[in-house]
Amino acid sequence: MTTMGDDDRYDITVRSAGLRRRRITEKSFAGLAVASAVIAVGILGLVLGTVVHKGLSQLSLDFFTKARPLFGQSGGIADALVGSVLIVGMAMLMAIPVSILVAIFMSEYAGPRLSVALRVVLDVLNGVPAIVVGIFVFGLLVVGRGQSAIFGAFSLAVLMLPMVARATQEVLEIVPRSLREASLALGVTRWRTTLSVVLPTAIGGILTGVVIAVARVAGETAPLLFTSSIAANAISTDVTHALPTLPVTIFVFSESPDPGEQAAGWAAALVLIAFVLVLNVVAKVVAGRTQRRLGR
Amino acid sequence: MTSVGYDPAAPGSGLERRGIRLGDVLFQGVAVAASVAATALLGLIAYQVVSDAWPAIQEFGLAFVWTEAWDPVKDSYGALTFVYGTVVTSFIALLLATPLSIAIALFLTEIAPRRVAAPIATMVELLAAIPSVVLGLWGILVFGPWVRDTLEPWLQGFLGWIPLFSGEPSQAGMLPAALVLTIMIIPITSAICRELFARTPHDLMDGAMALGSTRWEAIRGVMFAYAAPGIAAAVLLGLGRAFGEAIAVNQVIGGANSIDISLFAPADSLGSRIAAQYQGATSQLQASSILYLGAILMVISLVTNVVAQAIVTRFERSRRAY
Amino acid sequence: MSHTQREKKLMKKALALTLALASVVAIAVVGGRAEAAPARATGTLVGTGSTFVFPLVSKWIPEVAKAYGTDITYSPTGSGAGIAGVTARTVDFGASDAPLSAQQLADCKGCVVIPWALAAVSIPYNLPGLNGRVHLNGQTLANIYLGSITSWNDPAIKKLNPKLDLPDTKITPVYRSDSSGTTFAYTAYLSAVSQQFSRRVGTNTSVNFPTGVGARGSSGVAGVVKNTPGALTYVDAAYSIQNKLQFATIQNRAGRFTTPGIRGITQAVSQLPKNVTSLSQLKIVDPPKAAGPLAYPISTFTYVILPTNSAKAAELRKFVYWTVTQGQKFGLPLFFVPLPTSVKAFAYRELAKVKGAA
Repeated sequence: MTTMGDDDRYDITVRSAGLRRRRITEKSFAGLAVASAVIAVGILGLVLGTVVHKGLSQLSLDFFTKARPLFGQSGGIADALVGSVLIVGMAMLMAIPVSILVAIFMSEYAGPRLSVALRVVLDVLNGVPAIVVGIFVFGLLVVGRGQSAIFGAFSLAVLMLPMVARATQEVLEIVPRSLREASLALGVTRWRTTLSVVLPTAIGGILTGVVIAVARVAGETAPLLFTSSIAANAISTDVTHALPTLPVTIFVFSESPDPGEQAAGWAAALVLIAFVLVLNVVAKVVAGRTQRRLGR
Repeated sequence: MTSVGYDPAAPGSGLERRGIRLGDVLFQGVAVAASVAATALLGLIAYQVVSDAWPAIQEFGLAFVWTEAWDPVKDSYGALTFVYGTVVTSFIALLLATPLSIAIALFLTEIAPRRVAAPIATMVELLAAIPSVVLGLWGILVFGPWVRDTLEPWLQGFLGWIPLFSGEPSQAGMLPAALVLTIMIIPITSAICRELFARTPHDLMDGAMALGSTRWEAIRGVMFAYAAPGIAAAVLLGLGRAFGEAIAVNQVIGGANSIDISLFAPADSLGSRIAAQYQGATSQLQASSILYLGAILMVISLVTNVVAQAIVTRFERSRRAY
Repeated sequence: MSHTQREKKLMKKALALTLALASVVAIAVVGGRAEAAPARATGTLVGTGSTFVFPLVSKWIPEVAKAYGTDITYSPTGSGAGIAGVTARTVDFGASDAPLSAQQLADCKGCVVIPWALAAVSIPYNLPGLNGRVHLNGQTLANIYLGSITSWNDPAIKKLNPKLDLPDTKITPVYRSDSSGTTFAYTAYLSAVSQQFSRRVGTNTSVNFPTGVGARGSSGVAGVVKNTPGALTYVDAAYSIQNKLQFATIQNRAGRFTTPGIRGITQAVSQLPKNVTSLSQLKIVDPPKAAGPLAYPISTFTYVILPTNSAKAAELRKFVYWTVTQGQKFGLPLFFVPLPTSVKAFAYRELAKVKGAA
C-alpha cells in the first residue's frame, strides 16, 4: 500500500492508489458541477447585462410616451406597451375562469380515469408549440375577418389554459379532504363548498400558476405575429383592430439595420424582462406563503 | 338551542327534496362544459392544421417529409431541409444542455451550501423567464457576430478537418441556433432534475456512503439510478421545447433552402420557416405546404411530450412501490 | 432576518416595481393621448405588404391624415403577405412590387392592381476601406447568387473593376427569406440577363436561391449587410441610403455603369408605350439601349392591390388617387420617381373599377 504523504492516517481515502483515483474523480466532478453552475449564471449575467447596458440609456420620457416610429423617424414604445397590457389582460380574462373550472372538474367531480384522461389532454395542449397555435387561430379566426387584439388575446389564452389548469388542479389536490368533508357535513352545498372553502384555501397556488402563465405569455411572439401584427403607429385602445405589442415590436426592431431602432429594441427588451421578472418574484413569494399555509 | 332561522340542511325546493340541488347541477354542468371545451380545443387545433394542410398532403403525400425541395417558382415543396434543421439544432442543444443541466442540479442539491444554492437556483429560473424574442435579439446583435468572429474560427482551427466544422464562419446558421436553444432548455431540464435529486430518499445515499463510496459514486450509483426515468422525461421535455421554438431560431438560423453538412452554414427549421413564410405564401399550394410543415411539427412535439409523460407516469407508479 | 420578514421585503420590492411599471404604462397612455393625432379620422384604412415602398408610405401617412383625415395603418410585411392579405380580406389594401399572376388574380376574386410608385433596386455591399465604388453587371450578379462566384477578387469582378484593390473576402449573398416583390424584380432582371439563372432559379417573389443567407424584410437584408463584411444584397435604394450602405453601379445594355437615382430610373421607363393597357407592359428591368445611356437596369414599379368590391371603396379611391397625384412629390428625396403620364392614365382607369358594395 502506498502512502499519499497526506495527514490523517485514519482517512481511508488516502490509503491506496485506487482510493486516490476515486478522490480525484470526486473532486473533478464536483468541479464540473460548480463550473456548470458558473456557466449558467454567467450566461444569464451576459444576456441580462447586455440588455440593461444597451437598453438603459434609451429609457426616456419620450420612449414611454411616443408611438413606434415610421421609416426614418424616431419614436418610442408607448403604443406597444398599451397594446401588450390590453392583450395580456384580455387573455387572462378568457383563460383563468375556464382553467379553474377545468381544474375543479378534474379534482372534485371527475373519476380517476376521466381525471387522468383530462390531464393527458392538458399536457398535450401544453406541448403544442406557440407557432402552431398562431397558425391555428389565424386559419380559424383571422382569415376573412382581419387581425384584432381580441384574436391575439385568444391565442395567448389557448397557451395559458393548460398551464393554469394544471397548476390549479395540483393545488386543489393538496387541499385536505377533511376541509371539504367538514363543510359538506355542515350542510353546505357541493358547489358552495368548492367556491367558498376549497378555492380560497388554494388561492395562493392558483395565483402562482396564473402569474407564471402570464409571465410566460407576456413574452410570446409567434401567435401575435399572425393575429395582431399589422397595427397603426399610434396609441390605440381599440381592441377590435390589431394592436402593437412589445414582443412583436422587439422582433421587428431586432432585424433592423438602424442603430436607433436596435437601441430601441434593447430598451423594449429591458421593459419586457423587468415586467416578467417582477411577475416571477411575485409568484415565488405567493408560492412560499401557500406552501407554509398548506403545511407542505 | 340556536335560533338560526335558517337551517342549511333542510331541503328547500321540490328538486332538493328529490335529492337534486340546482346549484350543484349547474356548477357541475359548467365545469363539465369547460372540460369539454378544453378537449374540443385540442381536437380543433389538430383538425384545423391538418385540414389546411390537406391540399399539400394530397399533392405530395408522405414523401413530403423526406423530400428536399422548396421552390415556389416550380411550386414544388418538401420538408426535409426543415426537418433536418429542427432535428439537428434540437439534438445538439440536447447534447450540450443535458450534462450541464444535470451538473447544475447536482450542484444545487448536493454541493452548494444552502445560502449559495438559493440565489443561484433563482438565477437559473430567471434564465427561463427571458422571453425567446429577447434571446433572439441578443443572438442577432451580440452572440451571432461573436460566434462568427471567435467561436467558429476557433472550432475550425481544431476540428476543421471534420465536414461539420468546414465552410465559412457565419453569424447565422445551425450552430448559433443550436446554442441559443441550449440556453433555452437548460433551465427547464435543470429545474426538473433538481426536483428529482432533492426527492431522492437520503437513506439510500447514506447507505451507499456508509459502505465506503465517495459522494460522486453514491450519486452515480444511487441517485442517477433512482432518478433515471425522471431525467429521461426532463430531457424529453427540453427536447419538445427545442422542437417548438420558432422565433429565436428564426432570428439566428439564416433561412436557407437546402441542407448543408456544415454547422456553420445557414439552415432553417420547421417553426422558423413557418414564421418566415406563412403570411406571404405565393400560391395556395405553398400556403398548405407551410401548414403541412406545421402538422409535422405538431406531430413531432406531440410524440415527444406524450413519451415524456408516459415515462413520468410509469416512474410515479413504480415509485409508489417504495 | 426571519423568513416572513424577508418575504415582506421581497413583496415590498415587487410591489414597488409593479407600481413603477404601472405608472409607466399610465404615463404612456396619458402622455400619448396628449400628443395624439389631430383631427380624428373620417375613416381608417389598414394595409400591408411591400417593404420596398414603406419609406414612401411612411411619408404619405401623416400627409393623408392632414389632407383629408383618413388614418392609414400600414405594416411592412413583404409583397407576398400583401397579396395574401388582400386576397384573404384581412386588410383593406395590399402593396406589392410584384404584379399578380393569373392564378393570384383569380384567387383574389375581383382585385385591381394599380401602379402607385416607381423606384429602383440598389445593390449595397459591405467592403470597408475600399478605394472606390464597385462596378457590377447582371451576369456577375447572377453568378454570385448562383454560387459560382464566391470571393470578391474573382477574375470576373476584377475585370469590371480594374482600378480597385479587391480583397479576397468571401462574398455572402443575402436574400429575402420572406415573400418579396423586390426579389421578384431582382430575379426578373437576373433571369433576363442570365439563361442559367432563369433555368435554375427563375422569377418569383420567393425563389430557391442555391446559396447565401436569408433575412426578413428590406430592413433585415440591409441589417445583415451592415453587420457582415463581404456581404451583398438587393434592396430598395432608400434603405441603402438610410443605412449609409455603399451600393454598386450596374452596367446597362448601353455598356455604362449606372446608379439607382432619379435620372437612372427616368431613363429606364422612357420606352413605355404611350398607351399603357396592361401590367405586362410595365416590366422595366434590363431596359434596351434605346432607353438611354444612364438607364438603371433594375428599376421597378410598385403596386397597390384593391378589391373592386369593398365597403371602403370610396376611401380607397380617394387614398389611391391622392397617392398617384399629390403623393408623388414626396418620393423624390427617397429616390422614388413620379409616375409617367401614361402610367397615371392607366392607374386612373383601373381605379375607376373600384366600386364598392352597391
